Amino acid sequence: MWSTAREIAAGDTVIIWLTRDVIQPLVVTPGKDFNSKFGNYRHSDFIGMPFGSKVGSRSGKGFIHILRPTPELWTMALPHRTQILYIADISFITSYLDIRRGSRVIEAGTGSGSFSHSIARSIGPSGHLWSYEFHEVRAQKAREEFAQHGMSDIVTLAHQNVCKDGFNLTDAADSVFLDLPAPWDAVEHAKQALRKDRTTRICCFSPCMEQVLRTVSALNEAGFSDITMYETLVRSHDVAQVPVLQSVSEIGDKLKKAEEIREIKRLRQIAAGQRSRENPHGEKRKRDDAMEVEVLPTVTEAEDSGSGKRLKTDDEMTDATLSRITHDGDVSRSLDGATRTPHTGPNHSGLPAKISVSKAAAEVRGHTSYLTFATLLPPIPTAPLEDAPTEGRPSSFKCTQETDRRLLLGLGMT
Amino acid sequence: MSASAPPLPSPQFDTRVQTIQSGNTILLRLPNGDTKAFKIDKDSTTSLGRLGLFYANDLINEPFGRTYDIVDKNLKIVPPLTLAEVEDTDATNELINDGEFVQPLTLEEIQALKQSGAHASEIIKMQIEQHANYSLKTEYSKEKYKKRKEAKYSKTFTTIEPTLFNVCDYWFKKDQSRIRDIRVDALSQMLNMANIRPGGRYIAVDDASGLVVSGILERMGGVGRLITVCDTDSPPSYPVMVHMNFKHETVAPVLSSLNWATAQADYIPISAPVDVPTEEIKSDRQQSRINKRRAASDLLHRTREELFAGEFDALIIASEYEPLSIVEKLVPYVAGSGSIVVQSPYVQILSDLHNKLRALPGYLCPSVTEVWLRRYQVLPGRTHPTMSTSGSGGFIFHAIKTYVQLV
Repeated sequence: MWSTAREIAAGDTVIIWLTRDVIQPLVVTPGKDFNSKFGNYRHSDFIGMPFGSKVGSRSGKGFIHILRPTPELWTMALPHRTQILYIADISFITSYLDIRRGSRVIEAGTGSGSFSHSIARSIGPSGHLWSYEFHEVRAQKAREEFAQHGMSDIVTLAHQNVCKDGFNLTDAADSVFLDLPAPWDAVEHAKQALRKDRTTRICCFSPCMEQVLRTVSALNEAGFSDITMYETLVRSHDVAQVPVLQSVSEIGDKLKKAEEIREIKRLRQIAAGQRSRENPHGEKRKRDDAMEVEVLPTVTEAEDSGSGKRLKTDDEMTDATLSRITHDGDVSRSLDGATRTPHTGPNHSGLPAKISVSKAAAEVRGHTSYLTFATLLPPIPTAPLEDAPTEGRPSSFKCTQETDRRLLLGLGMT
Repeated sequence: MSASAPPLPSPQFDTRVQTIQSGNTILLRLPNGDTKAFKIDKDSTTSLGRLGLFYANDLINEPFGRTYDIVDKNLKIVPPLTLAEVEDTDATNELINDGEFVQPLTLEEIQALKQSGAHASEIIKMQIEQHANYSLKTEYSKEKYKKRKEAKYSKTFTTIEPTLFNVCDYWFKKDQSRIRDIRVDALSQMLNMANIRPGGRYIAVDDASGLVVSGILERMGGVGRLITVCDTDSPPSYPVMVHMNFKHETVAPVLSSLNWATAQADYIPISAPVDVPTEEIKSDRQQSRINKRRAASDLLHRTREELFAGEFDALIIASEYEPLSIVEKLVPYVAGSGSIVVQSPYVQILSDLHNKLRALPGYLCPSVTEVWLRRYQVLPGRTHPTMSTSGSGGFIFHAIKTYVQLV
């Protein structure tokens, strides 16, 4: 498939990573430029750099990352021709269908090739993928893409409607993946294409429950067993760091402090009122100011001697706040700017302890498709097996009567 | 235009046996729905507890996935279960009360029936005939009743192919903490995120009983390189691999292991000398001991050199240890653009790692994701999500290693 060399060479397909949401494929072509809002670059400058390089633009403003393509990056970067499959479904299907080195897999339809690239990677050069697409232009585009990515030996692409015309294969594949509007029409064809000398599997990918029910009936009638259905999703998490959450004791202390100040103010107003009654003429403002300086410490001292502990806590709080401003300079980053006292975590430097938090992203993909799986077992031998090791006693192999099994399972049902 | 079958490379490489062989430890699904592991040895009998004994030879060379009935210690193949339509009737549970004496067949009578060699279906049939309220039940309820009885009396079991999916599912149900809550959807995503392919080169830290190592080996198919780092003095035991029934060629050329001491660049092995002058070797036994020691020492040396040469395609971690310490030690050996995949049952551990790595250069697009999976009961007229399911399949951290290279 793609280059496995350490360094980028001319003609390589690379993935240009601009941001999390802007990821695009590029074929490195000497003489060409790559221009984006993250700066201008010459393709020839990429040659010889190791894959994974962070590259600054020629003007010095902006940078990009040049990555080695993987099927997962390709899924993020590929030109969409259809709705595509994503990692959760692709990886789950790969496991269920037992796809690995050397597997022979059928896929219909090809679509935008997201699944095809992943499967081609997993089966490797000793495996084979037959991919069918009934839309002519999409088939052509996919064919070009597979050739560009060095997958032509692994993938055979056919422009064909498999529901009508089948797969043109008999006893060839280990597994079948159907991403079709009416997969039930292709189930019999799939059965023909699957090999009968070992256990094989099928997956039908349908967004609607009605499709699932029809597919299940078709699979059951065609003799598939172990029919089951799954739904799988990825929930991405937003990760952040927040200062250690504040204790309500601190809030209580703050409220008490506020109450004390309110009381001081009340006393002060009473005092001011008395003064203004005693001295109704002039100099009110000036004396008031003087009073403030005078009265406040007096009251505070009185409080201090009464319940010193409370105020001590308050002093500590102030110290902590000051030290944070001095050492961290990052108070503005705390969520609400409230005064905090560190409680836990490594805090030798006097920095506020932070905790890592995460929550599921606000908007996530809620449904992709239902994955209906079924198994096709090799036919049951009707005669006693020749090669069954039977030393010393007669072979026990004999298929029990169909009616016996029916009786066991269905008892009197029609 | 039509597809044609290209000349197939032959023979097809298989990571594991395609039919049951003597010495395999295989998974069997029992009538009550449980899956259990049993060792199959030639010329012996295998005991399935309540289900009784059977001759192991009957399973040897059989393909996986078949269902058998035990009849006098012999196995009879039975056709796979098919889905039966259930007729809709007007029956309801309006007139059915719990706790009523509805089943006149006593325990003793059932025991006697069993001893007389009656087939499970006969016992169930008799129970139904004598069941007072059976006819009042809905067809769905009758189905459920029969299924419950079948789980109790049937002597039928199904062999399960040791695919990665099935083995992971078995371990998850058996003891999910021993595989660090890695559900099959999580394992699948990890393998894809790490771009595991035949011929790739990977570093793995697997404290999940070897589930991750099994997955990587399965996908590599005997080509490429996998170096694991473990916390033990001796080679790591990866018990999940027992159930995969890998062929020797799947594992031996691919897997080598170091531990947290031997994976350090400044480690100097303390071991007995291997270069003993020939005149000092007194016996064949001593010679073979020295040869063994030399082979082990050479292997260790080669594996270390290989790790330190770096350029691995990905680093995959499912470990009980502090993830940043692992990442810092092993990421230098990962190639540019390679994936770093870390799994944990706890999101806190990964969000912490995420925050720490975000502050460092060389980690592109760190992300934390949670896996989500829902299985459905698929029966005609009765399709719905299963009533009980696993709550969590773990969390995955992913980042891409980059180089800062300004031109």
